[in-house]
Amino acid sequence: MVSVVEMPEKTSQITASGPEVRRGLIEIKQLDFAYGDHQVLHDVTLSIAPRAVTAFIGPSGCGKTTLLRCLNRMNDLIDGARITRGSVEIEGIDINAPGVDVVDLRRRVGMVFQKSNPFPKSIYDNVAYGLRIAGITKRTLIDEAVERSLRSAALWDEVKDRLHVSGYGISGGQQQRLCIARALAVEPEIILMDEPCSALDPIATAKVEELIRQLKQQYTIVIVTHNMQQAGRCSDHTAFFYLGRLIEFDGTAKIFSNPRQRQTEEYITGRFG
Amino acid sequence: MERVAASRILIPARRKSRRAQMAIEQGIKAFFGGNALVAVIVLALITIFLFREGFGFFGQNLANLQLYRQAGLEYVDIIRAVTTQHEALSRKLSEIRLREVRSLEKRNAAPDEINAALAPFDQFASGFSDTAENLHGLVSDLTEQASALKEQLAAGNNSGSETALRALRERGATFESVSAEMTASVSNLMATAPALPDTAEQKSFDQWKIAVRDYLAGFPVASKKLREWSADEPIPWYRSLSSFLFGREWVTASFWQDWYGIVPLLVGSVMVSIVALVIAVPLGVASAIYVSEVASRHEKRLIKPYIEFISAIPSVVLGFFGIAVVGQAIRAASQSSLFKWVSFFPISERLNIFTAGCLLALMAVPTIFTLAEDALRNVPRGFKEASYALGANRLQTIARVIVPASLSGIVSAVLLGLGRVIGETMVVLLCAGNRIAIPDFSQGLGAVFQPVHTMTGIIAQEMGEVVRGSTHYRALFMVGLVLFTITLGINWLAQRFVARFRMSVG
Repeated sequence: MVSVVEMPEKTSQITASGPEVRRGLIEIKQLDFAYGDHQVLHDVTLSIAPRAVTAFIGPSGCGKTTLLRCLNRMNDLIDGARITRGSVEIEGIDINAPGVDVVDLRRRVGMVFQKSNPFPKSIYDNVAYGLRIAGITKRTLIDEAVERSLRSAALWDEVKDRLHVSGYGISGGQQQRLCIARALAVEPEIILMDEPCSALDPIATAKVEELIRQLKQQYTIVIVTHNMQQAGRCSDHTAFFYLGRLIEFDGTAKIFSNPRQRQTEEYITGRFG
Repeated sequence: MERVAASRILIPARRKSRRAQMAIEQGIKAFFGGNALVAVIVLALITIFLFREGFGFFGQNLANLQLYRQAGLEYVDIIRAVTTQHEALSRKLSEIRLREVRSLEKRNAAPDEINAALAPFDQFASGFSDTAENLHGLVSDLTEQASALKEQLAAGNNSGSETALRALRERGATFESVSAEMTASVSNLMATAPALPDTAEQKSFDQWKIAVRDYLAGFPVASKKLREWSADEPIPWYRSLSSFLFGREWVTASFWQDWYGIVPLLVGSVMVSIVALVIAVPLGVASAIYVSEVASRHEKRLIKPYIEFISAIPSVVLGFFGIAVVGQAIRAASQSSLFKWVSFFPISERLNIFTAGCLLALMAVPTIFTLAEDALRNVPRGFKEASYALGANRLQTIARVIVPASLSGIVSAVLLGLGRVIGETMVVLLCAGNRIAIPDFSQGLGAVFQPVHTMTGIIAQEMGEVVRGSTHYRALFMVGLVLFTITLGINWLAQRFVARFRMSVG
């Protein structure tokens, strides 16, 4: 299901102090990004490891969501948004190259949004959507995938008796897990999460975080968060952005205990942001 | 800082007296309340007036129907129906002849040859139409008698009506002998029926013969009806309503009998609206989808005002355009060789349901477009993004997420477009052809190319000429009430859909 790039350098990963020495599943190289004339990302270089959780943190407007949306080219939908320099590579392939099929890319790089956004359809149809648009019509296949995805999203037991009620008939936390299940159904390799818990209460947040920890066994997860504790609790690597620049990127434990940059420390300790 | 704070007073002292303040507030309240009150009263008055004028129709129509019976008009119409059937059969014969001539012409026969070949048939046809001579005489005599009686009764003079009716029935009783004579002569004539050279025409001629046999078999039924008919039998009250709602004839200012049946007008309005919607819904909804989902910002800026601009064209100008351009163009197109394969082409009438429907579609497109575009634009961005993020392409996102999510909004847009279309007057008055008749649906889609009259059109056309308080006048009010009910129903439905739309998105 998940094809992982073989990485000979993997052993050195633990001892490496910076991300630049190892090769990741996703390689962001010297990326500049602009909305019209307004440049929001400056020279970002970042390597994201497979089967791990990478968190993007930083104050509002620092470009972390924009960067996340570069990874599955969601920014294509915005008029005037474009990469002005640099590249994003997944498994060594530049995803912005002319030959890349964006539909295929998005099927491999799933996304969960800040505000839970199930379609106004039943729970079942929500999860089945990705399969149906991919042309799968066989009922048994879809049934199977729906159950598997809902189980992976730790939602199956809660909704198995009401798969055909509206996706809006369940609680906010459940809706967000439904959105995760919907993303899992198409069997992506990478899951992008854009502040997935910002609209949830603490209990629902805890459940989603638990889910993220489980999912990283199989998936590569990139999560944008405002919540420092959340980044600390569930990520393996953390990147700190400020004003469109990557200030620091390192193991989460290191960032939180012993950041190299003063700005990082000030942000983490809550002196600004 | 402190000094400034001290000089400022938190609550300024009241300058005006309490009473003056109250008066101003009362005045404001009275101004707005008064405006609302005037609007409500005017609306109520209009509705009450509409209902009062309209409901008077039932009593008057009942009297109208009663007079129809008491003066023996109904009695005469039983026999008249028999003559009408005969005329229809004669017409069928000439249709058969026309087709026969065409098929002979196709075989390059000279006109003289054709006439020679059809001579026996022509003789037969004129023989057939002659068989009804006595019947026609009977009907015209009876018509005269009944008309005279009706005039007398309408003037309130009941004296001698008994004798006049008896005379009418005596003359009518001769129908038995006339019909027997007719049966004999038609049967004799049928034995001499010539064969036709063309097999297809022979087949329809054979069918015609069967129709004639059925026609003859109907004589005893008519005689029985005549015998059983009674002028004194009261008309049940509901006939006044049912003859309006289900009446298939709208005949006014007739020397014989006025009929106020709404069916031809209703069918006309509905047909025109259907044609208009069939054209306007795809155009309006598709362009709304294009503008909200596909178009670039530049295209949006261009298309949106352009479509909305159409609604600024006065409907009378559109109607003008319809007569001069659309009607003409449709007829010209129907005559072109390109459409030879269409069975009901070429069309004879330039102004018909289709012409009116096309123009009404033009009027409905801006309404449907604007409202549908609103509904589509209000679909949360999250739905779209989630769909794209799952690898859907644009078409899949539109078809499976955006349109379903805004469906109730789109439906209400279509309904409001329908409301606009069905209430529109000027365009249909100018372009629908104004023939008060139910289209001939036996032609299939060809029915769409026949002229009709509509509910709105008839009110606009006839209201200026009617005598105030007459049955006709009140009948027009009833038509207005039906129209009012229909548009009210449509608007109510549209509102319900909008409410659902808000719930599903909110």
